[in-house]
Amino acid sequence: MSNPVLGVVSLVVAVLGVLTGFPMAFMFIFVALVFGYAAIGDQVFYLLTYQFFGLMTSVELAAIPLFLFMGYVLEQSGLMDRMFEALRMTLGRLKGSLYLIVMLVATIFAAATGIVGASVTVLGVMAAPIMIRSGYDTRMSAGIIAAGGTLGILIPPSVMLIVMGPLMGVPVSDLFAGAIVPGLILSAVYLVYALVRSHLNPALGPPLLYEGTPPGGWQKAKEIVLGVVPIATVIMATLGLIIAGVTTPTDAAATGAFASVVLSLAYGRMGWSRFKTAVFRTLETSAFIMFLIGAANFFGAVFARLGSGTLITDALTSLPLPPTAMLLVMLFVIFVLGGPLEWIPIVLVVVPIFIPVVKQLGFDMLWFGILVAVTLQSSWLTPPMALSAYFLKGVVPQWSMKNIYIGMVQFVVLQLAVVLVLVKFPILVTWLPSVTGLQ
Amino acid sequence: MAEAGARTPPDALLAAIRLLEFPSVAVAKLAAWVIVPMTGALVYEVVSRYIFDRPTVWAYDITYMMAGTLFMLGAAYALRNGSHVRADFLLTALSPKWQAIIDLVLYLGVYFPAIGIFFWVSLGFAVQSVRQQETYPESPWMPAIYPLKIVMPVTLALLLLQGLAEVLKAQWTARTDRPFPPSR
Repeated sequence: MSNPVLGVVSLVVAVLGVLTGFPMAFMFIFVALVFGYAAIGDQVFYLLTYQFFGLMTSVELAAIPLFLFMGYVLEQSGLMDRMFEALRMTLGRLKGSLYLIVMLVATIFAAATGIVGASVTVLGVMAAPIMIRSGYDTRMSAGIIAAGGTLGILIPPSVMLIVMGPLMGVPVSDLFAGAIVPGLILSAVYLVYALVRSHLNPALGPPLLYEGTPPGGWQKAKEIVLGVVPIATVIMATLGLIIAGVTTPTDAAATGAFASVVLSLAYGRMGWSRFKTAVFRTLETSAFIMFLIGAANFFGAVFARLGSGTLITDALTSLPLPPTAMLLVMLFVIFVLGGPLEWIPIVLVVVPIFIPVVKQLGFDMLWFGILVAVTLQSSWLTPPMALSAYFLKGVVPQWSMKNIYIGMVQFVVLQLAVVLVLVKFPILVTWLPSVTGLQ
Repeated sequence: MAEAGARTPPDALLAAIRLLEFPSVAVAKLAAWVIVPMTGALVYEVVSRYIFDRPTVWAYDITYMMAGTLFMLGAAYALRNGSHVRADFLLTALSPKWQAIIDLVLYLGVYFPAIGIFFWVSLGFAVQSVRQQETYPESPWMPAIYPLKIVMPVTLALLLLQGLAEVLKAQWTARTDRPFPPSR
């Protein structure tokens, strides 16, 4: 068997191996060791150590634990709850107000964290009980929390974009700038959809009832100023510095984490045990994300060494398809793989196979990266591996898995519609990075 | 009373698991705190670079060293807490007993060979680096890099020990058809 074919076989074996339910990271290392040894002998061992060592000496990827730390500190500080309360007090009388509040908090929290788990969990804990009590539609509520929480991986800072940057040869700060408009479009589309639906059918999202006297205008203003403004300022400052090209994402991650700690202390919500929780969660999440990145990198390196990537690239480019159709095919493959797989293997193993094709077709790499990122939003929401659904079910056990899944489908459709809009109008992606003068 | 005894794992088994897990937990709880000086070092760098225009020569080296240490030394702890991502949607259709049997087979057939080889290779990698008192040429500061290379075999040794603990848990579940109670 020739090496490129061997590589393709190894990919099939790895996918089957992952489906046994064994932790993916170890399965990737094992399969790559076996196939790599068969093809290149002892060299595969050095490849393994150097892939992991490369990860351990990466300043760019050091942003991941720092952004996780920032997110967990904000999660533990209770500042998100306070923001939620402030918005509820101000906006509660509107029809479908909880959808509006969930999306506002989700979007701001997405700009504070780089991952999905924390956002979905916090939103589920804060919003779901009130939604249930106020008689909100279960499917719509579950869908908007899961979809809104998933924005965390797209709206910068985003761990996924930090991993994608070096892979695609695009500065992470450009990817961050490029993801903002699409992220906000998604957020707006979800919101408008939920509000229009609940306007047409008020039973989906009735206005909230207040116990006791409704808050006065002065009190509302005070809650907004204290509950929303400081946290929004910290986040904007962190992202602003990256996007303006002043600091690197890693620098900004550290200052953002530091500012979040200071802010939490200033609000007096952060005790020692909560701080400890944030520190240990940072370790645990960094460990499994980075270890999986190392394992998928190693697998990808062996795959590339066997020449299988070139085999697939050649096969794809020889297809008689117009460039846009080819692009849609690649995005569709990524969408489908998002069902059983997680973003890390998709980004590190599948996307590198597509990169030469994209280059050959002459597409802008930044634009392609953002299209992949938006498409991968759905990987969190599509079964069988729909992590957002699992996180949500974990904190809202009253909601059945079936209702959560059905609720998420409508948002996956909206995501795919947004992908098509971005394919049609690339300027929505490239405009902001060009304004910041980095492109 | 044999039935009732099977409800919770026997004390001897729990003690053995705790012993095997102790290094993962202890190392992780220490390593987790690295995030605090790491944040501090970079904030210091940002202040001295952008405000006083005097960038440090060491901050970025400290950063990747700490980040690398942090995530590697947390890997075994993450295994203990079941946080390494699994695509377990097919598995959930099976009884706990069969899930555990598949896990046992894969621990013995996949995990230990892969992590064992990785341990052995990285040990050689680290030993060679220590012998040479290796420094890192890609940085102007040229820091000693061998301590970071030692982190690799340590991580993999922790993963091997934690793997043994996971095997003990899985064999109990395979025999009793009960999910193993999560460790605290």
